Amino acid sequence: MRELLKKLSLAFGPSGCEEYVRDIIASEIEPYLDGAELIKDHTGNLIYHRPGKGKRLLLNAHMDEVGFMVTEVTDGGLLCFGNVGGMEPLILSSKRVISENGIVGVIGSKAVHLLSAEERDKPTLPRDMRIDIGADTKAEAEALCPVGTYFTFLSDYVEYGNNLIKCKALDDRLGCAILCQIIKDICNEKIDVQHDLYIAFTCREELGYSSAFGVTDRIKPDYAVVVESKAVADVSGVSDDKKVCTLGDGVIVSFADKSTIYDRDLIKYIMDLCKEKDIKYQVNKFISGGNDSAHIQRSGGGTKVAVLSLASRYIHSPSDVIHGEDFENAYKTVLAIVSDKGFEPSCLCTISN
Amino acid sequence: MEGIKKILEALVHIGTVSGYESNAEKYLSGLFGFDSCERDSLGSFVLTKKSLKENAPKLLIDAHLDNVGFMVTDIKEGGFLKVVNVGGLDTRVLPATEVVIYGKKEIYGIITSTPPHLKRERNKLPKIEELMIDTGYTKEELKELVDIGDPVAYKPRLDTLQNDYVAANSLDDKACCAAAIDAIMSVDKKDLTYDVYLAISAEEEVGKAGPARVAFALRPDIAIITDVNFARGEGIEAYQSIECQKGPSVSISAVCDRRLTRNIISLAKEKNISHQIICEPSYTGTNNEDISISGIGVRTSVVSVPLKHMHTPSEVVSLKDLKSLSDLLKAVMVAKEEL
Repeated sequence: MRELLKKLSLAFGPSGCEEYVRDIIASEIEPYLDGAELIKDHTGNLIYHRPGKGKRLLLNAHMDEVGFMVTEVTDGGLLCFGNVGGMEPLILSSKRVISENGIVGVIGSKAVHLLSAEERDKPTLPRDMRIDIGADTKAEAEALCPVGTYFTFLSDYVEYGNNLIKCKALDDRLGCAILCQIIKDICNEKIDVQHDLYIAFTCREELGYSSAFGVTDRIKPDYAVVVESKAVADVSGVSDDKKVCTLGDGVIVSFADKSTIYDRDLIKYIMDLCKEKDIKYQVNKFISGGNDSAHIQRSGGGTKVAVLSLASRYIHSPSDVIHGEDFENAYKTVLAIVSDKGFEPSCLCTISN
Repeated sequence: MEGIKKILEALVHIGTVSGYESNAEKYLSGLFGFDSCERDSLGSFVLTKKSLKENAPKLLIDAHLDNVGFMVTDIKEGGFLKVVNVGGLDTRVLPATEVVIYGKKEIYGIITSTPPHLKRERNKLPKIEELMIDTGYTKEELKELVDIGDPVAYKPRLDTLQNDYVAANSLDDKACCAAAIDAIMSVDKKDLTYDVYLAISAEEEVGKAGPARVAFALRPDIAIITDVNFARGEGIEAYQSIECQKGPSVSISAVCDRRLTRNIISLAKEKNISHQIICEPSYTGTNNEDISISGIGVRTSVVSVPLKHMHTPSEVVSLKDLKSLSDLLKAVMVAKEEL
């Protein structure tokens, strides 16, 4: 699963340009379909469907990552850019980036020596930053990277410290890697699936206008589970509540974030499963962030949804960091959900007079 | 240019934060084409290549080896390190940047960054003392691996851009080290007008303790100081910068020797080596000032290459400019008459 995580994370795939990631996932799971159906839909989603008797379950991970798009080429041959997806502006300065066609650039700004004392204490805003690809003229830059060209961070996959993993785009290639592994496990008969199972790899989550919305309407699942990463700040000196969660303390079963209040029954069911299978899990201690769940919850007539997240440091940077053990625990939790006979809501409201 | 790139790539992968230049000893002493490689008391390396002529005059070429970085000041819970800067850092580039800690072994780390939802003030630049380095170890493990005072540098990586530009950490001033090494390696001893001493000097970034010591010891007849200068770009005025791809600049300055400077410019013209002029009236901000007053005084000149994004993990230099610098230094070494 680590090898696939590495391959997927290094792949190029900012929001709206998910095809490379989609191709890797498709070629990875095609040999393991074993009678299941694989749909590539009109908005770029990849949907695996294994018909079965039980409840209709949707598992979801998004393929896209944050990135940049060229908005203007300056007379000097530098590239002005806009963000694709939300990013902390402070992490951009001097990072290396790469375009869809493999052109390497540096996010540059004026040398620190040439700034006034006042300017030195202020962060450079993205609108004052430029991508420098080494073009000497405007014409040369335009030929290589015309307006509209996508860039992502140029980053290595590194395993460091005690089982920590670092790369760009771990958000949410980790979800893609876990769900690919589940599909392989089903084929290898490691799992006895108790569901009518859909696994969707979706697009444009980072923009907040996710294609998971349409996927959910198409499938109309009984319930859905999203596999994601969650921004945390578990660094030394931050109080426990502000850390949100801690790397290595298990998969996060969120009760709420900024965009979704998760289904109480469903999260209790997942927590019980974790306890039963002895899987390490944690809950978030701070309400922050959001993900595809909001779209899944509100699509069509509404869907019960839960999210399994991995605590991630420095998210949306060239250095997303997750814990290898959390990665295993998230995988085990998904495995437990898929193999269980299914979640029965305790309070199925019937409208009566 | 490939030769220079190879030397440069090797140099940027050696961690040489000011004061810790000794890491480069193995590489520098293993270079071919030099008579000797010695280290002085303050950590500068002197690579020598002597002319076959008797009593040849002495030429000192200086390029500094050290780069800006950090030093460990505390080891915190959860495997985080507190650090201070060594030299003038650009604090805008720190959050989420990868580093290497040169402890008992090389340890990978990431400078912390606070997610936006936990910030008290948006768009405020964090100070170095608010940041930490994430190593992924426990405090106990880290204490075995790292000592207070250990140096930390940006994680080495060299990428090739368009038009023979390269992006890497610590190109200031390893770019000039590479060009000077290349120049001296490729010249035949019998052609040398001078006994050539290459000072790959220490501690430029922290008050220039190193280079003048070499000059004091050597008492050269002339010295050429090679360093990087600001590349022209958006919002950078012509008077404070030089243009990329136009060759090295020769500084016209009150602190440089007029005759030597003039002779170098004439030589560049004569040999058709691309070059440019920059005026730095009072100071050049390089090792030049200290070397010029060392011993009984030395005739000096400053030659610089344009560098983009100075003091960041992704400095950018043109290999063509480095090749021109190498050509110019070679021309000086084999000049028909003393300059």
